[in-house]
Amino acid sequence: MNDEQSLDERVEVICRFNKAFQPCIPIKFKRTNGREVIVTELGLRHPRQQGVRIIHVFDVTDGQADYRLEFNSEQLVWRLTMEADHV
Amino acid sequence: MYNQAEPSVMHIDLNSCFATIEQQARPLLRGRPVAIVNRRSNHTSIVTASYEAKVLGVTTGMKLNEAFKICPDIVALESDPPKYRYIYRQLMRIMNDYSAHVRMKSIDEGVIDFSEATIDVRQRNLCDIGWEIKNRLWGEIGGAINCNVGISTNRFLAKTAAGLNKPNGLDVITHKNLRSTFKSLELTDITGIAQRMELRLNQVGIYTALEFLDANEEILRKQVFKSITGSQWYKRLRGWEVDKHDYDIKTVGRQYVLDEYKLSRDKVLQRLHFLCEEVGQKIRSQGLVARGVRVYARGYQYKGSGWNGEYWQARHLLKTSFSSDKDIYSIARQLFEDAPNFVKEIGVSCYQLDSSENIQLAFFDDRLGPGFNITSTIDSINLHYGGRTIHSADTLSSNSKITRRIPFGGTRYL
Repeated sequence: MNDEQSLDERVEVICRFNKAFQPCIPIKFKRTNGREVIVTELGLRHPRQQGVRIIHVFDVTDGQADYRLEFNSEQLVWRLTMEADHV
Repeated sequence: MYNQAEPSVMHIDLNSCFATIEQQARPLLRGRPVAIVNRRSNHTSIVTASYEAKVLGVTTGMKLNEAFKICPDIVALESDPPKYRYIYRQLMRIMNDYSAHVRMKSIDEGVIDFSEATIDVRQRNLCDIGWEIKNRLWGEIGGAINCNVGISTNRFLAKTAAGLNKPNGLDVITHKNLRSTFKSLELTDITGIAQRMELRLNQVGIYTALEFLDANEEILRKQVFKSITGSQWYKRLRGWEVDKHDYDIKTVGRQYVLDEYKLSRDKVLQRLHFLCEEVGQKIRSQGLVARGVRVYARGYQYKGSGWNGEYWQARHLLKTSFSSDKDIYSIARQLFEDAPNFVKEIGVSCYQLDSSENIQLAFFDDRLGPGFNITSTIDSINLHYGGRTIHSADTLSSNSKITRRIPFGGTRYL
């Protein structure tokens, strides 16, 4: 039915900042188990409001699974909050 | 007489909106049947199905377990309101680039009125603008986001045009192709004509969309609609604008299908309390106060209950206005005392709304007194820290059960 897995994992992320319509694109992140995930596509970036704080949500894929990365713009922290393997 | 003016209204409708947005966000879902539901259970109804699912016979409103029977590999996802709100705002931003007269009809559709747009926009071909908007959606949001564009002389025909070639169509209805377009439509394809209205039209010998278009104004006014509505339909079908107005909010409400049957009365009341807090917050966010509260319940059949699951409702209208959660709940709770047991769905709404600046204060009924200051302070804290940072302890257990859903039909709370 749905193979989403909710996570709350702090991750290290490398982003590319550019002049294009999407100014910030995650290109690679490293999970707590040491596994590196190379992002092949940014599906959607959208903000999620937590009161006055803004969490930037990045839905990305590595071609094998879809991931949700969340950047807390107040704490400057990246978290991996969802993994879904639909293949 | 058909309206022979140049089309100046554009209706834009995102295709299978929520499902498409999920497919945009999660690339591995593209090309796969997807269903969006509000709650992940087999008995839940599908809010939106992707085109891949629709092709296999999955429809909006279908129970998820029925969808699994015809499409076992359908992926069911819970709705994600912040994501949809973001796309709504992006769509609105793009539409506002072409005219100051944009009205969003719901979270996934809106209308641009070009009649008062700037001269450089009005000089452009509307089809070109329609394609440009499609391209901007692809470029600025993502390649999976498609929309239907309909162009005509009034809102009704523009919406009709937007529904002609789904998905991803762009159609224009003018006085020249109005008849040929209506020839291809069923009566119930027309927005606003459902089965009951179809029956009323059938009773005066109108069986097709074309016959509806050709109907005499007097027959529509005196025999079918029995009011001025008949004349409005006569004009609407011929491309004259009769729908260019905004409606005031008449009621504000919230409903909830209980998380389980046979909940104790106390737990049902806790859920009702939660709904009252949400309704109160909605009212205050619009700067309104209410004078009436209505509660309803829908039951399930239970042997010996004497209630066959029909609809129950009660309402109460006060002389003075109120807007605090406490007042709404105290009235709702009192009304709910008469509600039967074996409830599966509950709802509460407030009516007789007025601006909080226009209210008549009563000498001895201090519903907007000190309590009002506490309520507005709580609202400010919740606005700052988000969600339900402060709420009544009674609704604590409902927090994990009731989640905020995306409102279809209205865009006031997006």
